[in-house]
Parts: sequence; structure tokens; C-alpha cells
Amino acid sequence: MTGQKTHAEQPESARTEGNSRVLDAIQSLGLLGVILIGGLLLSFASPVFFSRINIENLLFASTIIAVVAMGQAFVILVAGIDLAVGAVLALASVLGVVLATKAGLPVGLAALLALAAGTGIGLINGLAVTVLRLPALIATLAMMSITRGVAYLISDGRNIAPIPSVYVDIQGSRLFGVPMVIILTVLLGVLAHFVLTRTRFGREIYATGGNAVAARLAGIRTNRVIVIAYMISGFAAALGGLMITARLEAGAATAGFGYELTVISAVVIGGVSLFGGEGRIMGVLLGVILLGLVQNAVNLLNVPPNYDYVVSGAVIAAAATLDVYRRRLVESGLRRRTMTIRREKAQSRDAAQTRDSAQSAPPTRTGQT
Amino acid sequence: MTQHPRNAAKETRLTAGTPILFVDRVSKTFPGVIALDDVSLNVRAGEVNALVGENGAGKSTLIKLMSGNYKPDGGEITVGGHRLEATPADAHRAGIATIHQESHLVPNMTVAENIMLGHWPARYGIINGREQMRVARAAIARVAPDLSADTLAHRLSPAEGQLVEIARAISENSRVLIMDEPTTSLSGREIDQLFAVVRELKAQGMGIVFVSHWLEEVFAIADRVTVLRDGRLIGSEPAAALDPGKVIQMMVGRGVAQVTTSAHPLGDTVLKVSNLIRTGVVDDVSLAVRAGEIVTLAGLVGAGRTELANCIFGVDPYETGVVEMAGQRLRPGNPRAAIDAGIGLVPEDRRNQALITNLSVSTNATLAVLDQIAPHGVLSAKREAEALAVATQSVKVKMASADVPISTLSGGNQQKVVLGRWLARNPKLLILDEPTKGIDIGSKAEINEIIVRLAREGTAILLISSEMPEVLSLSDRVLVMRSGRIVGEIKRENLSAEVVIALATSG
Repeated sequence: MTGQKTHAEQPESARTEGNSRVLDAIQSLGLLGVILIGGLLLSFASPVFFSRINIENLLFASTIIAVVAMGQAFVILVAGIDLAVGAVLALASVLGVVLATKAGLPVGLAALLALAAGTGIGLINGLAVTVLRLPALIATLAMMSITRGVAYLISDGRNIAPIPSVYVDIQGSRLFGVPMVIILTVLLGVLAHFVLTRTRFGREIYATGGNAVAARLAGIRTNRVIVIAYMISGFAAALGGLMITARLEAGAATAGFGYELTVISAVVIGGVSLFGGEGRIMGVLLGVILLGLVQNAVNLLNVPPNYDYVVSGAVIAAAATLDVYRRRLVESGLRRRTMTIRREKAQSRDAAQTRDSAQSAPPTRTGQT
Repeated sequence: MTQHPRNAAKETRLTAGTPILFVDRVSKTFPGVIALDDVSLNVRAGEVNALVGENGAGKSTLIKLMSGNYKPDGGEITVGGHRLEATPADAHRAGIATIHQESHLVPNMTVAENIMLGHWPARYGIINGREQMRVARAAIARVAPDLSADTLAHRLSPAEGQLVEIARAISENSRVLIMDEPTTSLSGREIDQLFAVVRELKAQGMGIVFVSHWLEEVFAIADRVTVLRDGRLIGSEPAAALDPGKVIQMMVGRGVAQVTTSAHPLGDTVLKVSNLIRTGVVDDVSLAVRAGEIVTLAGLVGAGRTELANCIFGVDPYETGVVEMAGQRLRPGNPRAAIDAGIGLVPEDRRNQALITNLSVSTNATLAVLDQIAPHGVLSAKREAEALAVATQSVKVKMASADVPISTLSGGNQQKVVLGRWLARNPKLLILDEPTKGIDIGSKAEINEIIVRLAREGTAILLISSEMPEVLSLSDRVLVMRSGRIVGEIKRENLSAEVVIALATSG
């Protein structure tokens, strides 16, 4: 009577659990695989690709998107979206220069005020979403327009140059031969990863994004968590603005047009669920690098400028499709393994039982003969 | 195009007892779980086949396979010789209609439009409103003659919604009707009405699969009882040859002991609610719960019990009234304040209100003690492990590891985690809203045991329960609610099902 026995589930589930960690790692490595294969193909197509200068340029060019995308990730993790990042970046760029050169404030203070402005816009976005209960898409879309407008008003639509030399100095500085900007971006990534995985606030972010009602009933102040997430995004976008000032050598109200979409693509390609509650910073950074790689390829292979957007879009679609397909593969692999393990167990149990009954059988058999 | 089996069957009326749908040795796995393992089953014309089993036994999976929502990993499902493809559309064409636990109506369409959903009578894409009304009315007339076909679906009660879904099945000439726990959100009278409809459909030769946790219901309606356990078929026998005791044994593989509380000393008043009013839902309620006391709020679904609990816990605001914990007045509309004052809430809807399904058991279990496991905001692995131990061991959660997503646990174990989440805080008062709803019999008994033990240890318990045996066995005192008011208080010594029901339903 095998059917009457309750299945002992613990050990076999434990085995699949051990494997699921590995599968988890494969999942984030999947994107890395795409990047490596892409890089390999590219290195055949263009001898320049694997040069130190080119790789450095690729990473360097990705830093701004990376910083803004990490901020955006916090918002998307709480199931929101921040469309204002491109505009915030422009405003911060303008403010940082105007406050220093026109208003005569110390450069550091001007930069801090620019960061504060970005954070403040995040605060307003957060309050609009939580207190006013506007849909995030609408609230941040409106804020995007307002912020861009203010940036134009302050700068009168012109690039503001020259900029304080500190910007250029920091951008040009290196540590152990690596551009400072890249090192700082990596450090920010480590910090963001730490916050999300090792702090109470990180837990609250995942819980709020995963199920806001349940999180609130467990005592998490979900509105506050959401507001802070938008503030982080605003801050990160403003920091991106200071970085772009250094790169353009001007405070530019036109900077960062369409950045919101690039940034959101990077975050989503990086495996952060638009429904909230799922995703990692490592994935976001890989998503950013993949987009950077595409841009790099377009430049190296001399793709005519008019094809630029088409190629980028196609690659984004391909990467996303590949990712979805890979996830399904991982899941069905997991399923098949569970089945096999369970079958094996059942077989060995049945075998053990037949053995048992065989052992108790001999007397009867001898009796018959 | 060959003629579809359904159309063939429409002409030849099936005699009772003829098998219509064959489930042949199907298996289905999900990551980490084997949901179904080599299960076979027939659905016969004119027969109600009750599918029972503890949570996680595979009932829902089997239903989703029969309704074309899942593809079997092994085995096949055939209807009149036609092998079912794994799409809901094919199941519909084959004449299999399913009423899922959650409503499958489009809220902003009328009853008529919902009944004709997807097969609206149309020519050149333009819908023939009159024909739609005619067919829809004919179908409604058989299940709910009082219901207007013009009503928007979101205005329907859960019971009415179900009847509309049955009407849809009728209008599609379905031959198999699968009902997944249809009585969960229905009152006693609504259940009777539903059963009358089911009997009529049965008399007309429809094959019915009926899933329920309630054995009384099963024996009231079923001709055949099919028991699943751990994804395997344990047996499928005529109801007449079985009794509830036997079925329970088949379900759990063991007998179940009933817990009861007895008179015991009570402590000081922990919770005091005075004249609480939330317009339209809670009407001037005053009550008190003492340390070690289990006070049960009884009443019909919609009597305002959950709403009252939500006001006390600060989920919803209220206009007037005072909630006090140990003499301290609580700020309204603030769950954090309630938690800090020592209240814990196990909400009614586990999936939507208590669990973060994609996160691990550990994260879910420690969600209410983040302040304790993260001194200075940084999580301490050691403290988390300690909190997890308190949360899961005292309630005996069965799991492979605390790192698996909580969605992989059975309903009973999930509920234990939700309960354990609060134990790590040492609450003075626990509000338990239908804590054993939709979970298996074994876990039910265990959770009841935990409730009694907590009360013994001095926790005040405010219990909301619609299960009479639970109300009778656990309560020190019962408060009966009706239309947002407390209409009666029954002490343990005077407690009987008749008194509770009389207060809950009369006047």
C-alpha cells in the first residue's frame, strides 16, 4: 500500500533548494553570458574592441546611465516608475553651474544644492504617488515636463559655460590608472547592493514592492518607503547631472533627453520586475553595460547614424526575449529535476518494500513446496 | 473541419453514469513540488464527483489541467475521444466549464455580456444585442430567475457572480462543470440555492466536479467522492460507501483529535473598545478582551467583523470611538501604533494581505520584527536566525529550508508562518481573522491547538471564525455581530450552535 504512505518531502526538496541557488546565479550570469558573447563577436568584427582604451571608454560612457539606473531600480522595486530622471539630470546640470558661476556660491555648495534639488523633486514625486495617490506614470510625467521647463527657464535654453574646473579635474582623475568616475560608480553599486540586501530598508523595499498591503499590515510604513525610493532616484539623477556637466563641459538644459527610457530599459533588461519586489543591483549594472556595448558596436562598426535607434531597439528586444526564454528554461529544468528525484525515491522505496516482503515471504514459499 | 465532439454529444443525450471526461494517468510538476503524480479519474454524466484533499494535495492543479490552464507533463485528458489541448479555449469547445475560486467575470460588463463572454452573437463583428439578451436570459432563468441581465458584474455579490458563471456554462452547452470551492464565500442560504441549481444540472445529465473543504457539504451533494493526497489518487468511491470519518482518514492518513478549551483563570483587561463607529460598516461597538481570554466574533459574512478588526488594528480609520490597549489610547488608522502597543493581526486573506509570495519563508516570518533583527538599520544574520526560530519552531512549520519562496509551502504551513510572524514579537493581543480558512484539516487542528496554548500563556485572543465547531470549542466568550452591531454576548457555559445562529440571522 504505497499510496497510503505520506511522502517524506523534506530531503528531496532540500536537494532542489540547493540547486535553486545555483540556478539563481546562472540567472544573473545569463546576461553576463550575452555580454561576453556579444563582446567576443565584436572583437572579431573590430580589432579595436578589445583595446584598453575602448573598454575603458565603454565603461566610462556607461557610468552616467549606471548611476541614474541604480536610483531608478529602487523606484521600480517598489512597483513605481520615475519618468522625471532625464529632466532632473538636466536641472541639476544647469543648477550646479549657474549657482557656482552666476550666483557666486562655492562650487561644492552649488553641487550640493543641485543634488538637494533632485532629491526634493523625488520627494514631491513620492508624495504625489502616496499622499495624492496619483499613478506614478502620470505624476512623474508631469514632473518631467515641469522640471525640464524650469531647467530651460534658468538657463534660457542655452548651454552654460565655462564650468568650474573642479568638474573637469575630477572627471580626469585616476586611481591606480582607472578613471575615478568608474571607481565611484562601482562603489555606489556596492553601496546600493548592500542597502538592498543587508539593511532593514532594503527588506522594506522588497516587501513593499512584493505586496504593499501585507507589508503595511506587518508594520512597515510603506508610504515612507516609497517616498524615500523616489528621493533616491531623484538624488541619483541629479548626480548624473553633475557627471554630464563634466562630460559636456557645460550646464545643459537639453541634457538627458530620453534618458528615462534608456534607464528604464537597462533596469528591466537587468531583471528588475516592473511589478516590483524582484531584482538585483548586479543585474541592473549588467543591463547598463549591455546597452553600452550596443552603442559601442554601433560606433565601431560605423553603422550609419540613421540606423542607430533601430539597432539599439532591436538589441533591447532581443536581449529581453532571450532573457525570458532563459528563465523558462531554468524553470522547466528545475521542474524536470524535481520529477526525476521524486521518481527515483519512489522507485527505491518500492524496491525496498519488495525486498522487505521478499524477506518475509520465504516461509510461505517453503510451506507451499 | 471535422465535427467537434461537443457538437456530436449535443445531439445524443447522455445517459446518467456514462463517463464523459477521462483523466488518464496525468502528472504535473512545478519547481520543487510534484503537484500531481499519475492520477486517473472519470467524470460521468449526471454525477457529482466531489474532489477532496488537504491543501497541497493537488486538487487545484488537477482542475487547472482539466480546464486547459496547464499542460500535463505526462498522461492525457480526453473528452469523447478528443484529446484536450492545454488551452482554456479548447476546454470550452470540448464542453468543460470551470468556476474558479476567484471570479472570472469582467467587472464593467453586464450580466448578459458576461454570460456570452467570447461568443457574443454577432454578424460582421457587430453584436446583436437582442439575441444576446435572449440567450442570456434563458440561461439566467434556469439558475437565478431574480437576477437582471442588465446589472453590471461588479455590483453582484459573490453568490450571484457564481450563478452568472454557471449560467455562462449553460449557455455554452457545457457537459462538464468544474466548481473549485464554490461555497467558500457563500452564506448558508446561498449554499442551499447553489445546491438546488447543481442538482438540477445533474438531473439534466451534466457531469459535475465539486471541490470543497467542507465534508458536510460534500456528503450533502456528492454521488462520488475522490480523495487526493500529496498529488496521488487515494481513492474514488460512491459517497454512499463512505462517511466523513473515513474520508478524513483517507485525506490525512491518520485520525484527527479535536481541541477544546476549558474554564481557566483570566488576567486584566488588555483590549478595550468603546463606542467605535465607522459609518456603514461598524455601528457603535464596545467590547473588552482580557489576558488569556479567547473572545470570538461570530456572525455571517458581511456582519462587520473583519471591518471591526481592521479598525482596531488601524488598517481602516473610524469616525468616533476609542480603542485602548492596557489603558493607553491608540491612534486611529495606524497599524504601526497598534503593533507597537502589542497587537498582532492575522488577516483573512492570506495571499493578498499577509504574504509576500515571491520572498522567502525567512523574510516573511521576520517581517514584523525588522526593528529587532536590524539594529541601526543593518540586518543581523544571528538575530534573524533567532527570530526565525521563534516564529517557525513554536508553530511547527514544515519546510525544506527557510530560504524557499513562501509560495511553495502548503496553505496550512503558510498560515503558520503568518501566525509565527507575530509570536516573535510576544504580542499582548492577537486578532485572528478566519485563521483556519481554506487550510487542511491537519493544520486546522494544529492552529487551534496553538491558539489555545497562547491563551493559556496569557495572550488575549480576538478570534473571528465562521466555522461553528471552532467557535464552540475555542471560545471563552462569543460576541455575535449582525449589520455592524454586536447583537449578543454568550458565555461559554451557555454556548450552543443554535444560540449563535439564532442571534446571527434573526431580526
